[in-house]
Amino acid sequence: MLSLSATAALAADAAHGKQVFESCAACHTDRPDQIGPSLKGVVGRKSASLEGYRYSGPMRRANLVWDEPNLKQYISDPQAKVPGNRMPFSGLREPRDVDDVIAYLKTLN
Amino acid sequence: MATRLKEVDAVMVGMGWTGAILARELSKAGLSVVGLERGPDRTPGEDFILPAIRDELRYVQRLELMQDNSVDTITFRNTSTEQALPIRRFGAFLPGEGVGGSGIHWGALHWRFTPSDFRIKSHLSERYGAKAIPEDMTIQDWPVSYEELEPYYDKFDKLCGASGKAGNLKGKIVEDGNPFEGPRSDEYPNKPIKSAAPSLMFADAAKSLGYHPFPAPVAIASAPYKNSEGITLGECQYCGYCNRVGCEANAKASANTTILPLLRGERKFDLRTRAFVTKLVYDKPSKKVTGVVYSDMRTGEEYEQPANIVVLSSYVFGNTQALLLAGISEPYDRVSGRGVVGKNYCYQFEAGAAAFFEEREWNTYMGSAGVGMCIDDFNGENFDHSGLGFFGGGYFFCGQAAAPPIAGRAVPHGTPRWGSEWKRATVKWYHRFARFNTQGSVYANRENFMDLDPTYKDAFGRPLIRMTYNGTENDHKMSRYLLDKLEGIIKAMNPTHYEMHPRPRNFTVVPYQSTHNTGGTMMGADPKSSVVNRYLQAWDADNLFVMGASVFPQQHGYNPTGTLGALAYWSANAITGQYLKSPGPLVRA
Repeated sequence: MLSLSATAALAADAAHGKQVFESCAACHTDRPDQIGPSLKGVVGRKSASLEGYRYSGPMRRANLVWDEPNLKQYISDPQAKVPGNRMPFSGLREPRDVDDVIAYLKTLN
Repeated sequence: MATRLKEVDAVMVGMGWTGAILARELSKAGLSVVGLERGPDRTPGEDFILPAIRDELRYVQRLELMQDNSVDTITFRNTSTEQALPIRRFGAFLPGEGVGGSGIHWGALHWRFTPSDFRIKSHLSERYGAKAIPEDMTIQDWPVSYEELEPYYDKFDKLCGASGKAGNLKGKIVEDGNPFEGPRSDEYPNKPIKSAAPSLMFADAAKSLGYHPFPAPVAIASAPYKNSEGITLGECQYCGYCNRVGCEANAKASANTTILPLLRGERKFDLRTRAFVTKLVYDKPSKKVTGVVYSDMRTGEEYEQPANIVVLSSYVFGNTQALLLAGISEPYDRVSGRGVVGKNYCYQFEAGAAAFFEEREWNTYMGSAGVGMCIDDFNGENFDHSGLGFFGGGYFFCGQAAAPPIAGRAVPHGTPRWGSEWKRATVKWYHRFARFNTQGSVYANRENFMDLDPTYKDAFGRPLIRMTYNGTENDHKMSRYLLDKLEGIIKAMNPTHYEMHPRPRNFTVVPYQSTHNTGGTMMGADPKSSVVNRYLQAWDADNLFVMGASVFPQQHGYNPTGTLGALAYWSANAITGQYLKSPGPLVRA
């Protein structure tokens, strides 16, 4: 499993990930008044740790580190990974899209 | 005494759609701009989020985003012979309050008026003879044409990330769009949002009768979209919470999602919330409004904000009241017919229907206010009125605005209102009903107007605005005609049961009908027949610009926001392109 995801990450295409991220960008920007928290530096960040953002209770209690496996599960099916979180998005269906988005998120670190 | 603040280049009275558009365009042109908003600040991050936004009781029933009647309201009567009474809780229409205004809670139906709407009086005279227009019908041509406004409609489309299907691209009729619309210079930015099953049944039935169905145009993005300001809008999730709430997915356009994220970072712009403007400071001899007086609603402190340009961008009632209180232009007098401020108050004359299908089942809990199919065959001058005895019309709509738990449960007429029989009917029909609407025009009548109430005052001691309004014979006839045509389509859908909902004879301020109040500060060709000129500049104060549906000479058979957005851009363009270079009247009276 580990080696598989490592390979996938290597092959992942951040440029394509940036395109896929368009459907996230409506809410996840750096502007303070936006619906979602900024994802700058999210890879490796502790969950619910961005100061000033009002996270949902389930997300505050999730106690995760947004490493690659956790991000992968969350982006694929947000409600399965953190039940009751309030992100109105049902997840990316294509595993490749998930890998590419994570590759793009890494470029924001 | 009001504390006098440092003069700025421009001040906005109200920060809804038009205030935000003007603030953005004027600050881009280098002006220092202050935005005054009587209500609280509202941001997507704090106010449009799950799970709070799906609280139907809080927003849909208890109207959290609407104007606070305890501070300021309007009074209402049906006719001039009655005593008007204050509306203690809004019902028929719901003016918004707070940054974003009514543009937060709207359903986002995104229409343009037709070319003939803009010259309706001339058009009717040419087509049916000048004598055909009833004497009490005080309709007027717009002082701007569809062709002039088209680039600004297009601009507003691209701000909102509007979704739809063009029916007339540069004069070429396109299949599956609205063939009656005016020529568009460009396709909608986004493809139509998905339709619902009953809407598609409606479209099939309409087509079988020879009508021209098309998807409703909406200011809701059907896909992620980078708008004209470079802001990314989200994709509609069909969650079913549109009307009376903000959008959790950043898909439904509002000033808060499309402009304000940038405007807030603009150094030339200063947003002041809980700032209730009570007065325009009018210098009659020089024909200038030198500034505005406002109260800080948190401290009670009063301030005077001097400004070179004043933009009146509150709702229809606030705009009209401000001009009447300041004594700008002549107030309308019903008896003599003279005067203009408060004249041609219009509304939207909607009537609907419901149909029930025993054999069908669909997901009524999903949708959005704009999910649905329309026909425009019976709107405006899209059909011949010869011998019908009325003018005007409206589009038909079969949509699925979703069915939230409290108000979303349709049962056939005659079902008990409570108890086991009601429960049984609710379970049976919840997944099996469809709703229809006709978006009827209101052609101005001399008896319908606004003035200052002689009795009732607001929290600041200012007279309330008084509305005198009732449905006219013309509008009732028009509406009955539309319902008759709609009934034909519903029958062709073959429902188990259906019911038509004609408008009652007299207008009442409950239940909800439509927040499409228009008129009071009409735009027109000269100061005798209007309050503002074709650039929305006041005839009697050349540094005052009045925004919004209060400038409509009458209301046509479409939702007003598309047109008021286009007019805001059109006016902003005239201010930055002409007025700033040589301040003064843009049209010679």
